[in-house]
Amino acid sequence: MTFEPRIVGFLCNWCSYAGADLAGTSRIPYPPNVRIIRVMCSGRVDPVIILEALAHGADGVIVMGCHPGDCHYVEGNLQAERKIKMLKKLIAWTGLEPERLRLEWVSASEGGRFAEITKDFTTQIMKLGPSPLAGEKSDPNLLEGMLAAKAAAEDFRLRALVGRERELVEEKNVYGEKKLQEDFDKVMYDAIRAEYIRNRMYLMIQKEPLSVKELAKRLDMDPGQVLRHVVIMRRRGLMAVDRIEGTSPLYIALEVK
Amino acid sequence: MSREKPRIGVYICHCGINIGGVVDVEDVAKYVGTLPNVVVAKHYVYMCSAPGQDMIKNDIKEHKLNRLIVASCTPRMHEPTFRGVVEEAGLNPYLFEMTNIREHCSWVHAAEPKKATKKTKDLIRMSVAKASLLEPLHKREAEVTERALVIGAGVSGMRSALDLANRGFEVYLVENSPSIGGKMAQLNEVYPTGEKAIDALEPLMKAVASHPKIKLFTNSKIEAVDGFIGNFKVKVAVKPRYVTNDCNACGKCESICPIEVPNEHDFGLSKRKAIYLPFPAASPPIYIIDEENCNKCGKCVEACEIGAVDLKEKGMGMEIGVGTIIVATGYDLYDPPKGEYGYGLYDNVITLPQLERLLDKNGPTNGQLLFNRSTPKNIVFISCVGSRQEPGIYKPAIEGQQLNRYCSRVCCMAALKNALAIRERYPNTRVFYLYRDMRTFGKGHEEYYRKASESRVLFVKYKLEAPPVISSSSNGLVVTAQDVLTNDEVLAIPADLVVLNVGMVPSADASGLQAKLRLSRSADGFFQEAHAKLRPLDTALDGIFLAGTAQGPKDITDSAAMGSAAAARAAIPLARGKVEIEPIIAVVNEDLCSGCGVCVALCPYSAIKKDEQGIARVTEVACKGCGTCAASCPARAITVLYFTDEQIRAQALAALGRIPS
Repeated sequence: MTFEPRIVGFLCNWCSYAGADLAGTSRIPYPPNVRIIRVMCSGRVDPVIILEALAHGADGVIVMGCHPGDCHYVEGNLQAERKIKMLKKLIAWTGLEPERLRLEWVSASEGGRFAEITKDFTTQIMKLGPSPLAGEKSDPNLLEGMLAAKAAAEDFRLRALVGRERELVEEKNVYGEKKLQEDFDKVMYDAIRAEYIRNRMYLMIQKEPLSVKELAKRLDMDPGQVLRHVVIMRRRGLMAVDRIEGTSPLYIALEVK
Repeated sequence: MSREKPRIGVYICHCGINIGGVVDVEDVAKYVGTLPNVVVAKHYVYMCSAPGQDMIKNDIKEHKLNRLIVASCTPRMHEPTFRGVVEEAGLNPYLFEMTNIREHCSWVHAAEPKKATKKTKDLIRMSVAKASLLEPLHKREAEVTERALVIGAGVSGMRSALDLANRGFEVYLVENSPSIGGKMAQLNEVYPTGEKAIDALEPLMKAVASHPKIKLFTNSKIEAVDGFIGNFKVKVAVKPRYVTNDCNACGKCESICPIEVPNEHDFGLSKRKAIYLPFPAASPPIYIIDEENCNKCGKCVEACEIGAVDLKEKGMGMEIGVGTIIVATGYDLYDPPKGEYGYGLYDNVITLPQLERLLDKNGPTNGQLLFNRSTPKNIVFISCVGSRQEPGIYKPAIEGQQLNRYCSRVCCMAALKNALAIRERYPNTRVFYLYRDMRTFGKGHEEYYRKASESRVLFVKYKLEAPPVISSSSNGLVVTAQDVLTNDEVLAIPADLVVLNVGMVPSADASGLQAKLRLSRSADGFFQEAHAKLRPLDTALDGIFLAGTAQGPKDITDSAAMGSAAAARAAIPLARGKVEIEPIIAVVNEDLCSGCGVCVALCPYSAIKKDEQGIARVTEVACKGCGTCAASCPARAITVLYFTDEQIRAQALAALGRIPS
């Protein structure tokens, strides 16, 4: 059987959804693989829901909003862009192809463009092949990675950073400083990596107590770095020593209240 | 709140053969009937017809349905229809969900009926997942301040203000420049009647200035806008005029003022003083001192016999409360960059509005077509200057800015009017009209074009790829053009005067206003209407309306019509005294809110504020339900009614094959 990609599309009510309507009115054919969900604004699409769709085996997720400057809600679309930028970096850590997620601008008058993008994205997903998370036997390692990414996207830190990006980069922070975009990107990069790794560690030690060495091996990381995360996670009450084997303490996850 | 068990009715529309001709609706209905919570699944030829609607109403009663899905066209088309049906049957209208299987499915997958049928099943399954989670929502009402604000006192703004005032509503009319009247005051005659522009305009200006219900503020700016439909709070700054209302416009101050600057009313073709009356018919008829150029010598203070000049005058600020706002901020003229068709290089290359001033009896030459003291023998008009610019051929006026891809809609007719006037008044002057396309689509406009042809205006059609070239020779300017109509014959036209038919660009002053009002702009830079076809006067913000060229290029007729229309729209909430508020809004879970304030900064409508405890509070009337706050809340404490996380998630998972529970 040929591969029929399953793609979830989140379309803003005012531009892209209307653009898709126009593709219909103009009878412009495109592949029948995208399942459209109407939202009021592309900025409404929560990163957690995108990760959930991918974790549940979506072969692709596409978010469409108004062109910059055209947003029905002034700049919800730019907020969507910041979220997708963060998500792509986060997804890259899991091992899933970040190209399975795409953001596009389609106006209400661009029926042709909507059809073109849908066709292009479907072709791209066909080339990538089925998601390793689709079907009965999904890759458990990758799934754990996706769950770690989802947990990271649910946590305060990344959400706050994305939510504050505009303010920090375009306006001034409470100390009256303006951050350069590249400085911000660096902070964001570090935060994504740290949050992903800690959530991944947390998922691992939820299943069984593990030593720093074992965690480092599974994460393919330097044990010194893992230890630094362990210190932070212990301070936050996320893990505790379960027992000591030889000279190595084994850590176990603590329930977060 | 305990949720009653969902009992969903699903109605699949054939839409004649639009859906039924592609999708196997019977098979779909059979499948949908097997989904959890679905009590009834039917298909019918036209769900929106009276029998279709009756079927739904009967089934709601008979089967005790408490959720409803219609799978048919786009919700933009019939969502209000079916919400009404649901409501008539006694159900909350927000317990309805629409599945788009026509625009998003049958019309685009007509060649693949099997796949279209499968997609239809998926789409309805997604709707069932969402419908199972729907909650009843209720519209709310808020009181309305029965006053309106009109920003901009050009033709459309004045028309709006006057109509509203005549309906009995108080109107604040705020104009940035020292006089009302707008750009029409600078025109000579108007097409297609040939009437003097100022003669048509003056009665309107007088009516506005003297209306007891209109509070007029010229030389004033909008500082800040807060609030929402029914209850806007607007800060207005009245700039100092340095001349009090006692001024009787005697003109003694002007004659003694030592400073001369280019007169903007004549587009720089004449001079004015630093203390001046904007134009003879200006309203209010009060002089003004132009701060930038005045050297405070005080001669005008001495010359004024009634002591109306006050160099120490301070501006004043005030706050007004209004229920609705009309934005009628107009346009700017395209300012050609130096060198475009010789503009700025040769002084006999002028713009069309400058020509209007030369032909106006109140203009710098008292209406004599004199340029450098003689009447031009050969005049060349060039159309589409600053309009319909195509990449690769034109460059933006300011580097880095976008090209004006749109048609300015008035230049063809405005230039024809002037070409015809010149031919009639100066039969010895030859007029060449170089155009890309001729657009004379209005009432009486084509006839006008014919008249211009008959009066022997010479029309030359140039190609987009080969715009005319202006060069200078010992005998004056030469315009070289390729004439499409004579098989690309190259013409070298001698010209004493070249007139550029400059188009309209979005008002630069309005860009500050855009942020204050939180309006959006369309790709061309003009203010964006809520719907290009059906809601051309509304903005995305309830209670804020557009009139005139603020929304896009249009002529006086259309501007006046739009001014009246916007007044009618803006009067609705004022007349009702109450506004209904859409219940699709953000709600904060106080227990989860961390008080971080991310939502406060992100909300485009300032609809979220922190209370004394630091908890985020949504001002329901101001919230537009975009949901950016919800998707960004670090504590995940916010959701949006009718688009909850739970509902969106359920749809996404159902799209991937999960059967909703």
